[in-house]
Amino acid sequence: MSQARGLQNFISDLRNAKSKEDESKRVSKELANIRSKFTASGSLSSYQKKKYVWKLVYAFMLGYDVDFGHAEVVSLVGSAKYSEKQVGYVAMSLLLKAGDSMMNMIVNSIRNDLVGSYDDAATSLALTSIANVSGIELMQALHVEVQRVLVSPNATPAVRKKAALCLLRLIRQLPDSIASADFAPHISNLLQDRHIGVLTSTMSLLIGLTSKHEQEYETMIPYAIHILSTLVLKKSVSPDYLYYRTPSPWLQIKLLRFLQYYPELMASGQAYVATLKQCLARILNDTDVSDSINKSNADHAVLFEAISTIVVFGDSGDEDLQLAAMRLLGKFISVREPNIRYLGLMTMSRLAVLHNNTNKEQIKTFQSVVVHSLKDADISVRRRALDLLFVMCDQTNAESIVDELITYLVAADAGIREQMVLKIAVLAEKFATSKKWYVDTILKLISISGDQVSDSIWHRVIVIVTNNSDDDLQQYVATTMFDVCSSKNAHVKAVAVGSYVLGEFGFLIAEEAGKSGEVQFQVLHQHWPLIDANTQGIMLTAFAKMYNLYEEIRPIIDPIFAKLKTSVDVELQQRSNEYRILGSLGPEIMEDILREMPAFDTQKVSTLEIALDQEHSDTHDVNVFKKKDPNSPASKRGSKTAQQEPEPEILVQAEPEPEPDLLGGFDDPPPAPIGGFEDPPLSKQAVTVGDPAAVASSFAKLLSTPQGVLFQNEYVQVGVKQEFRGSQGRIQLFAGNMGAESFTNFKLDMPQVPYLRTAVQDEMGATGAGCTLAPKQQARVMIMAEAIAPYCEAPGLTVTFETSTTTHSYPLKLPIVPTSFTEPVTVDKAAFMGRWGQLAAKESQEIITVSRTVDPAMMQQVAALLTGLKYGRCQEVDSPTTCSGCGTMKTGAKDGQGNPISVGCLVRIEANGDKFRVTARTLHPVVSQGVKETFCKVLKAL
Amino acid sequence: MPYNYLILMSKQGVVRLASYFKTYTDSDKNRITRFIQNDVLCRTPKMCNVIEKNGQKVVYRRYASLYFIAGVQPDQNELAVLEEIHLFVEILDRYFGNVCELDIIFNFHRAYAILYEVFVAGYVCETSKNEAIKRIADMDRLVEEATQHMDDSSNEENGLSYTMQMQLGRRPTRKINKSMSV
Repeated sequence: MSQARGLQNFISDLRNAKSKEDESKRVSKELANIRSKFTASGSLSSYQKKKYVWKLVYAFMLGYDVDFGHAEVVSLVGSAKYSEKQVGYVAMSLLLKAGDSMMNMIVNSIRNDLVGSYDDAATSLALTSIANVSGIELMQALHVEVQRVLVSPNATPAVRKKAALCLLRLIRQLPDSIASADFAPHISNLLQDRHIGVLTSTMSLLIGLTSKHEQEYETMIPYAIHILSTLVLKKSVSPDYLYYRTPSPWLQIKLLRFLQYYPELMASGQAYVATLKQCLARILNDTDVSDSINKSNADHAVLFEAISTIVVFGDSGDEDLQLAAMRLLGKFISVREPNIRYLGLMTMSRLAVLHNNTNKEQIKTFQSVVVHSLKDADISVRRRALDLLFVMCDQTNAESIVDELITYLVAADAGIREQMVLKIAVLAEKFATSKKWYVDTILKLISISGDQVSDSIWHRVIVIVTNNSDDDLQQYVATTMFDVCSSKNAHVKAVAVGSYVLGEFGFLIAEEAGKSGEVQFQVLHQHWPLIDANTQGIMLTAFAKMYNLYEEIRPIIDPIFAKLKTSVDVELQQRSNEYRILGSLGPEIMEDILREMPAFDTQKVSTLEIALDQEHSDTHDVNVFKKKDPNSPASKRGSKTAQQEPEPEILVQAEPEPEPDLLGGFDDPPPAPIGGFEDPPLSKQAVTVGDPAAVASSFAKLLSTPQGVLFQNEYVQVGVKQEFRGSQGRIQLFAGNMGAESFTNFKLDMPQVPYLRTAVQDEMGATGAGCTLAPKQQARVMIMAEAIAPYCEAPGLTVTFETSTTTHSYPLKLPIVPTSFTEPVTVDKAAFMGRWGQLAAKESQEIITVSRTVDPAMMQQVAALLTGLKYGRCQEVDSPTTCSGCGTMKTGAKDGQGNPISVGCLVRIEANGDKFRVTARTLHPVVSQGVKETFCKVLKAL
Repeated sequence: MPYNYLILMSKQGVVRLASYFKTYTDSDKNRITRFIQNDVLCRTPKMCNVIEKNGQKVVYRRYASLYFIAGVQPDQNELAVLEEIHLFVEILDRYFGNVCELDIIFNFHRAYAILYEVFVAGYVCETSKNEAIKRIADMDRLVEEATQHMDDSSNEENGLSYTMQMQLGRRPTRKINKSMSV
């Protein structure tokens, strides 16, 4: 019965399932059935194959794990029948993930459809899937073909527009795969195509390209403006591309977006400026609310893009346009239509961020309207209003805006509170008219919404109060905190601030009536039972400080310390013990230690602003608004944050011992350069790569040893010292000039790879613009790397320099491989075999031949290698001719719960005669391959 | 500015069609689905069609019981996305003839084919309804030709061809061919 069920029945069954369990049972049954069909020896009919694959897709779409059937998908893609191919390609787009081992098998079929076939339909399918599946393997294998299809004169519009988008996807993943200079002419050809579909896709591609290299595509501006004027001024377009009577709004938007990459455009004095101005004016003036919501949306989409463009042009643009744009925005933020209001608020905040002067004054006139939106029913609108208030705030209106925000905070819902608290805190600090007002504001925040006040906010208060010892701020705050803490209902955060402040500055008010040291102590101590251990710790320190200051309360505090000696909280236990003993060490020591805190280092960027910045991070194109204005607070903060980034843990160690001199051979006279200096050749000769075998062997050696020489010849020597811990590593490169003459333009080029997060310390600039390296001089570069994704390819390093006669270029690989980030794991036989079986599907295997027959001594070397590559040996499963191990590759990437992702790796090396069979099985096929390759390399070097 | 994903979800929170244009892990996908279920489905018609939360931003549009949700970049032109969604819906409508959620449920494979014709790599690829419909009709014709000439499956299983099977899920009076002859 179940065999006869078609796809429709399957879907109906799932729809009729009474519960989630029912559904899941039905799916499991079907998957088991399909699995048995696929594994059965008899071949399936075309109809069955398609049907089963569709069922898999359906189950996958509902969120069920489908980890088989990939081979059938591959065979459908490779089929000659269009009906099968179509199913195969759609299933592939959905089921196959980047890094899937099936990708390699599928590449050839796709390539055939891409270039070998005269069939448009198949080419289209292939392009769509490459674009949608996102496998880096596919991209690497096929980007040349995709480019060829795009620029081929025979391609039909349908194919061409897909090829453009496919290529765009490609350059997002491999940004350097297209040489901009060579590609620009192709783009200009494409921009002369008359097909609007092709133009739209080409513009998407152009925007992607321009976001990386805007200069190379500056020549496209006239084309873009020409097309824009055709659409906007002449309104001439094929009727197919009228959308609710508007000529292709999407193309208009893309053209405008492209122009935003050239903010100085209007000041360029070119002939096309007038046309562009006309277009913008037309869009601004002619857009009106229409009875059709779709028409209205489409027109306003263009209008907002035009306004954004004007915003980007700023003062270099046209003044009338700016005024008109501002007028429109003012109108939009008070209309009923929620989308328009939302966008009005958003665009206005961009405007406020970009140009601080006249515009900001105008924006400030809308304050009351914006405040009104802060009370909107829609959280999206509220957020935007909050954002806008935040950026329109300055010294003149800070108090009123902060007051408004605090008033609203009382009624605000949880969704927005945290944001509000953070923003109020930043504003209060940034634009405080007086420090007292600032402290009062934060205290209000704590009393209204204490739970949302993060520690960094009140820490900031402490810093500011501590650092302002000149005026009476400290006394004021001490009084205030005394009053706040006198109330039994004070929030725990207020108690924390109160404890710190009274401990530090309580003595300033201790002379006042009713505020003696003892009373201060009582005021704090009444909260003791209700506060968390952290705050108790802070309070305990305050007690210690009071203990030091007021002799009369020592008898009360002593028992508290004594009692906490046995606290379950280790921190409290330690503090109380230390403070108790401190008392017995004599007054001088105690006074010394419990002295007032020195002023804090204020160089650091406020952590609050960092927190704000973290909200916006996930964008593909470099955001024009952030990029174009180096003075915008966002970009300023961004760059500071980058500098202040905490260094990786391993750097906390003491300075490393002096480096072993890798360039020890310096005392010997370097060999004389070939050629001689008498008659310099006309053009510089180019030298690349020394002996590839030597390069490979040094690389292999470095995989299992912490330091050594990566490359050397008579000119240059590159040494490496590396240290890894978990997902992080520190790699030092020493590149020395071994020759007799200086190198100019000495560069160490390390292309960015998506799977490593790197930071480079380089005093000489060898990784940047290049430097000069005198004979016997050494350039040192330190690279901090963190693995953030599974990978297999070692990152590249190209050493280039010029001598007077020759240009040298040596492409090398850095020995940073998946095993570098591995930590050994010891498991028993059962666990090893269990995992080994589970991971069977994701294995990577290779057989290599070594120079001699493997003997027990060599097996010992293999075992040592295994440990050298940081794998834990699992001896129980080994025979004399095998060697197995287990490790876990750490990455810095986080899963949904915020835990770092690790990839468990198993490896097994079997010897047979003069051959080794290396098998790696890991959770991730790419890592399997990487691990296998690493082992093969080191074994070959044995 | 590509979409990160396009998801069709019913009012009840069941995914009807989903395409991710960025590599997401399963837990990322679950997070996205939960976000939509919790924060999008509950929004009232008077609210705007954009919502942001924890760095995610979606533009959505509701058609009867079905939500079309596009995960977008922070600087994407939201109104343009709204109309891109509408364009997709109009194309579905034209193809199925007054499309309803059931059409998409039972013809999800066709819906996918249309989706990939309109959106490629998260970008709108074809903004003309006529052009898109024509391409899809061409594709259907190719499938049928293949079925007729080479791939005789009409005798298999319960005696229905692949295409006939697909039609079972449809309401009886309507024929796919009617809507295809645009």
